[in-house]
Amino acid sequence: MRSLQREPALLLALLAVTALVLTFIVYPQLQVVLTPGPGGYVQFLQEGTWLTPLRNSIQLTLLSTTTAVLLGFVYAYAMVYSNMRWKPFFRLIGILPLLSPPFVVAAAYTLLFGARGVISYGVFGQSPNIYGLNGVWGVQTIAFFPFAYQLIADALSRSDPRMEQAARNLGAGSWRVFLTVTLPLSRPGLGAAILTTAIYILEDFGNPQLIGGVFYVLPTQAYSLISSFGEYTSAAAVSTILLLLALALYLAKVRLDGGRSFVTISGRASSMPRPPVSAAVSRACFAACLALAGVILLVYGSLVVSAFTLRFPNNLQVTTEHFQYVLTGTNGDALRNTLVFSGVAAAFSAVFALFAGWLVQRGQWPGRRALDLLLILPAAIPGIFFGLGYLVAFNQRWLDFVDRGWLIIIAFVFWNIPVGYQAAVAGLRQIDRSIDEAATSLGASSLRGFRDVVLPMLGGSLRVGFVTTFVRAVTTLSLVIFLFTPPTTVATIRIYQLVGDLNWGAATAYTVADIGLAIIALLIFATLARGRISLGAARA
Amino acid sequence: MPDLSPEAAHVRVSHVTKRFGSVTAVDDVSFEVPKGAFATLLGPSGCGKTTTLRMIAGFYDPDGGDIEIAGRRVNDLPVHRRGTAMVFQDYALFPHMTVRDNVAYGLKVAHVSGTDRTRRVDETLAFVGLKGLEDRWPNQLSGGQQQRVAVARALVIEPQVLLLDEPLSNLDAKLREQLRVEMRTMQRRLGMTFVYVTHDQEEALSLSDWIAVMNAGKVEQAGAPWEIYYHPRTAFLADFVGAVNLVPARVDDLADGTVTVRFGAHTAVVRRPDAQLRTGQDVRLCVRPESFTIAPAGVPAAGLALSGTILRRAFLGDTMRYWVKVDDREWIVDQPDPGGSATLDGPVSLSLRADRVHVIAE
Repeated sequence: MRSLQREPALLLALLAVTALVLTFIVYPQLQVVLTPGPGGYVQFLQEGTWLTPLRNSIQLTLLSTTTAVLLGFVYAYAMVYSNMRWKPFFRLIGILPLLSPPFVVAAAYTLLFGARGVISYGVFGQSPNIYGLNGVWGVQTIAFFPFAYQLIADALSRSDPRMEQAARNLGAGSWRVFLTVTLPLSRPGLGAAILTTAIYILEDFGNPQLIGGVFYVLPTQAYSLISSFGEYTSAAAVSTILLLLALALYLAKVRLDGGRSFVTISGRASSMPRPPVSAAVSRACFAACLALAGVILLVYGSLVVSAFTLRFPNNLQVTTEHFQYVLTGTNGDALRNTLVFSGVAAAFSAVFALFAGWLVQRGQWPGRRALDLLLILPAAIPGIFFGLGYLVAFNQRWLDFVDRGWLIIIAFVFWNIPVGYQAAVAGLRQIDRSIDEAATSLGASSLRGFRDVVLPMLGGSLRVGFVTTFVRAVTTLSLVIFLFTPPTTVATIRIYQLVGDLNWGAATAYTVADIGLAIIALLIFATLARGRISLGAARA
Repeated sequence: MPDLSPEAAHVRVSHVTKRFGSVTAVDDVSFEVPKGAFATLLGPSGCGKTTTLRMIAGFYDPDGGDIEIAGRRVNDLPVHRRGTAMVFQDYALFPHMTVRDNVAYGLKVAHVSGTDRTRRVDETLAFVGLKGLEDRWPNQLSGGQQQRVAVARALVIEPQVLLLDEPLSNLDAKLREQLRVEMRTMQRRLGMTFVYVTHDQEEALSLSDWIAVMNAGKVEQAGAPWEIYYHPRTAFLADFVGAVNLVPARVDDLADGTVTVRFGAHTAVVRRPDAQLRTGQDVRLCVRPESFTIAPAGVPAAGLALSGTILRRAFLGDTMRYWVKVDDREWIVDQPDPGGSATLDGPVSLSLRADRVHVIAE
């Protein structure tokens, strides 16, 4: 505290950061929680309409997490432990889903297996009803097992290969080493990976919205209460239930890994080689990965084919008609909005998070634990809740002079703060405190030391924060579903609308364009940063 | 020789206390460092020496007490206004700056103009013997070179006081000895006040004008190196600074300037220490291993004569160290310049000059 009194500029900076966090993280969320009021909650709880979506959400999360984690584990084990062929290919395929909105899996599923699906109707002549629990379960499994894979691979690769070498040296076989050394050592990381996957699935809005049908889960219930009935009170209450569930999962995760693991995009180096597994195991791994990669390719392949053909699957004439449609007019504007909003937000978010991380990690003042908690809190807040918070708090008449695009940008910035913040914290852990101290002992103020010494050394953290925030902003649907206005529509909203219109050609072309532009933007950034950008889960 | 009178105190630490939670790291510590002195805080890890240094630098706020530099209370000054450049144990060189930029950093912050800056950086780099390495990056330097950059970077801003936190501990033994000499020469030439922290007693003895030995957050004894070495006030000090024989004894008689002590079957008349003593008191005798003369049994001994049997030995290069059983106690005895063939074995006779025996009253 005394160090702050001695440096007024530092105190001012801290107050500014605190004010921003309170305004854009705490205040909107409190607005949602407080909207129903005590009476509203009592009435809402008595009505009991929340029981079914709550049960559905829990059921779906349990089922989808189990299957997604199982598939993800197989993929991760194969990638980390086997010496199968085609690893670079499988790595690439595993990354693809991170760059696209999860709900494109629902879109592809409808395209392939729906009532007029390419496979269901085209091949088997069936018109199944895909809507409901089973459809969402299957779709979420496919959509989120790549996330589970990234997180599990990260947890597994963190175990020290020397431990495994020591166990092998003492006579244990590879499977025994895995069971008795690797698994126990990576148990906290694996637990955290499972919980993180569960949070993603619980909070997912797009997939259940597209193919849930009457199978309502908490996020879709909250959305429909507002979009169909204008029921803000009940929507806020439903969202609060969702928030409580997510918080519970998140707190359990924090107990395991300190809230450190995220799916991030970083320049992380690959780990040490591990003792090899047997050839038979490698072959089994290869077969499993091939099958899983095939499913992912089927999803994205069908999107690409549909985007480039006149009317998939009935008319396979190649055309660019859909792309012309999505790249022009309001569709083109939405695409541009996505890139601009995401780029601006990613830059702000990364820098702000880095500075906040430095203040919290290096400062010595009361309340830094509280600020630390607030800065990682958004990681536990479902997008639909966060968006609703901004809607309730900032969709005010007196704010009409502000372009609504800024509201989306600010929402992107603060919803993604935990990513950049954790990256900064991890980066700062690598930098000995004496480096900062050297600067101040040579006459630089704390802020000057941050600018001259810490900031240039945290380039890696800055890049992780920027790229991950950018990708999350480009791919989110739930956060913006309450925030967009006609002129500030973004790509995910347009895709969602086009799927709803069953305009498959345009929807798939839009998806391909969106993912393609995001990849191009990342490549440009990677070139500018002159650093390798690799995607994967990391304890940021 | 710097002026060691208290009037010239350049760094004054008075009744300083620092607590971390329930642990009192520094407990009511007071000392004064004269201007131009090479002062060392010596102690085992966790004794509070680094904490004290960091409070002088301003990285920690004392919970009580005052710190003055050049007659000015600095408790309320931020780190960067104290004029106390620091050399860190791991050097803390800025990895994204070249050697030149590292050394220029403090001058840049102080808005020293371009030409003046270049000149001072060049001079300092030449002074520490790094000419020609200006454009290297820190990771292209050896440990010793990095250490010199760290020193140059701190010296160039001409601080009031240079603080050094175990700056040699990451180097190998040979280099450490060389840099020790350089450091001492440098400090003499600059006449700058150094406050140096180390756990290495040899380093402290060889470098310092003044040493404060710390233990458990307190200064156990402060003074010139030879006072600490030969006249330690406590058994901890005797043991921490060099190898020592600590032998239980009893005061038999007190006289002006001398004290008669009895240990085992032996009696000796030795110098009376400053501490309060009374007849019949249990004390300990502190005898350094090099204070003995060792010879085969039967060789007549001068001074205090003890006879014993060699239990084991260790060849240390410049000396041969013996563990000798005298009565029922083991004594450590060093034989300097042992040569190749002079190894002793079996019964020996030891002789000890009475003025080498120091009495510790505890």
